[in-house]
Amino acid sequence: MPGWYYDKKEIRNSPSAQDALDFDTEMRYRKEGARFIIDTGSKMDLGYNTTATGVVYFHRFYMFHSFRQFPRYVTACCCLFLAGKVEETPKKCKDIIKTARGLLSDEKFATFGMDPKEEVMTLERILLQTIKFDLQVEHPYSYLIKYAKCLKGDKAKLQKMVQMAWTFVNDSLCTTLALQWEPEIIAVALMYLAGKLSKFEVLDWSGRNPRHLRWWDVFVEDVTMDLLEDICHQVLDLYSSQPTAVPDSPPPKTQSAPTPTKKSNNDQDKIETSDSSNNKAIQMTDMAPYQYQTFTTAPPPTYPSVYPAPSIPVTPHLSAPPPHISAPPPSVFPQFVNHPPPTFPPVTGAAPPFYPPAAPPPQNQRPFYQPQP
Amino acid sequence: MQNMSSRENNHNPSPSSAAMTIREKEEYISNFNFPFCDESTKYEKVAKIGQGTFGEVFKARDKSNPKKFVAMKKVLMDNEKEGFPITALREIRILQLLKHENVVNLIEICRTKASQANRYRSTFYLVFDFCEHDLAGLLSNVNVKFSLGEIKKVMQQLLNGLYYIHSNQILHRDMKAANVLITKNGVLKLADFGLARAFSSSKNGQPNRFTNRVVTLWYRPPELLLGERNYGPPVDLWGAGCIMAEMWTRSPIMQGNSEHQQLTLISQLCGSITPLCWPGVESLELYKKMDLPPSQKRKVRERLKPYLKDPYAIDLLDKLLVLDPSKRADSDTALNHDFFWTDPMPCELANMLANHTQSMFEFLAPPRRASQMRHHSLPRPSTSALQDSGYQDRVF
Repeated sequence: MPGWYYDKKEIRNSPSAQDALDFDTEMRYRKEGARFIIDTGSKMDLGYNTTATGVVYFHRFYMFHSFRQFPRYVTACCCLFLAGKVEETPKKCKDIIKTARGLLSDEKFATFGMDPKEEVMTLERILLQTIKFDLQVEHPYSYLIKYAKCLKGDKAKLQKMVQMAWTFVNDSLCTTLALQWEPEIIAVALMYLAGKLSKFEVLDWSGRNPRHLRWWDVFVEDVTMDLLEDICHQVLDLYSSQPTAVPDSPPPKTQSAPTPTKKSNNDQDKIETSDSSNNKAIQMTDMAPYQYQTFTTAPPPTYPSVYPAPSIPVTPHLSAPPPHISAPPPSVFPQFVNHPPPTFPPVTGAAPPFYPPAAPPPQNQRPFYQPQP
Repeated sequence: MQNMSSRENNHNPSPSSAAMTIREKEEYISNFNFPFCDESTKYEKVAKIGQGTFGEVFKARDKSNPKKFVAMKKVLMDNEKEGFPITALREIRILQLLKHENVVNLIEICRTKASQANRYRSTFYLVFDFCEHDLAGLLSNVNVKFSLGEIKKVMQQLLNGLYYIHSNQILHRDMKAANVLITKNGVLKLADFGLARAFSSSKNGQPNRFTNRVVTLWYRPPELLLGERNYGPPVDLWGAGCIMAEMWTRSPIMQGNSEHQQLTLISQLCGSITPLCWPGVESLELYKKMDLPPSQKRKVRERLKPYLKDPYAIDLLDKLLVLDPSKRADSDTALNHDFFWTDPMPCELANMLANHTQSMFEFLAPPRRASQMRHHSLPRPSTSALQDSGYQDRVF
């Protein structure tokens, strides 16, 4: 298992699933754990990068261990604790626990046991080994800003669109998207979604060349509309899935194991979420001729944004028409764009290969499900 | 997940305690076969080759490939209140990022098996490709003689390594001969990134506020000694200059025993520290507090002449040992210096090293005689941040 990306079948067949936890419950646990990390992080004034790193550790952890074995809120605290150190924003373990205590019910906090700090410390070693000491994690945020700086169109609408995309990225942490796709792809997809919802029209973009049909062609290759739609739906489904009246803790062991594989064969290309009612409402068809249709039936994001998007510094080209004249030479990254400094420097001078050798191919072409024997 | 032991038999008194009991967890931890983190027993310790603020370093043999040797650096966690040390996380993250011929290669991180004996707490080791020598060890052995071409090769590789790490926005912050490793094939590797950190010129206009309690005193540049916190790659280039001179003097050229004395030694070599030669130095925190020798002339060239004749070498040293960090040569400039492009050209070290089959590490060498340049055999000071308890003490 060289990379950190999984296909949906692998996610369905997680250690929790093998431990007889049904898929919907696991997704709910993941969502709650992620939300808890975000809430704890923001309460402690940790930045969005730190919380996002913690959430990614959390999702990765449960690709190797079961929610039944490791209660999610302890793991969540541990992930935030480690992420704080890795992102150079360390918080004391006891302070994280104190904050967590304030956010959790007595029953939930009981999972921290007699000595909560000891519990987190012991878990940290397990976490580090589980995540292969792969500490550096990239997030869609920086890409969002980078892409926004290259888009040309109405300034106010662009700002609004970026804010909305930013909120979507925050919320996407509650899905398993970070286990499925690189941050670049997620950023493109959620910006595309925000563009549609906020009716932002991309008139032109810097770095454009004649082969580019859509603005993201400058940044990512071979991203199909099917893929973008799938990613958007996974986030949108967060807003439609209602909190259910199920108990907070793992269901008793006696419950029969779910059979994800049984369902899977029919599900071939569908978005797999607990609630797919949105899928009908939003018709996102392949739309080469009209790139920015809006769909009005989609619900707006309802979750309050804990981490608002920073305002995009207005680069001169955003307001300067006509784009054709000011268009830079078709280099991939125009020099006049001030890229935000990377949180961590690139490995070499040359751009890293976009897809790590072991990562999934850049399209939805791989089979979701292997044929059953 | 073959190790998910069957828990059917375990009764869970209430839903909220459906998670594991302590004992179950211990069992789980000792049985779980972490797929990404091998056990340290795949290596067999051969000898201890280092001991310092960082903890212990061992030479070990790869059991599956007996010809392959590694260096295992233990992550000290005994006194950690805050779990896995942030300095070790930093070092790991930086080493994972840096992959270069002239930077030590981190192979993997290993663990001991959690068991009752270690209270179910694994010990972690950073596992590196083994290098036979370190530069301090080689220089302390009078039988090891470097020709001018070989010295050029050492410095060229050292500057290449620095160029690479600096272009990846990493500062080493602990340049010294003991942290420069050399394989038996003559390939130089920068090592010990325990004090290294990422840098950017400055964040949103705010100057950086890095700690200046870094770099072993004898190799510490004047800006750090004067309290600068917004520093950059030139701190490593000062160390490179000190190491270069040491290639001829064979012992560290400025062996101060206090920060004040170190600054005095620097002034005596590089001239008095004044706003004239170093505009802006007056605003450094300690500039006015330190009583420094006035009206010293710069004597880099004349003081080094007894040791080295090559005019290009002296000229390059003169450009590295510059007080004002903004005027100090960077690694790119230094690599373009005529020193590296005139006869004798840089020459492979492998042949010379083939005469020396014994590993040479400073740790294993007898204390170096600090004869040539004023100081008696002081114990070599280690990196300033407090000693003994390893990583923990280097949190800033």
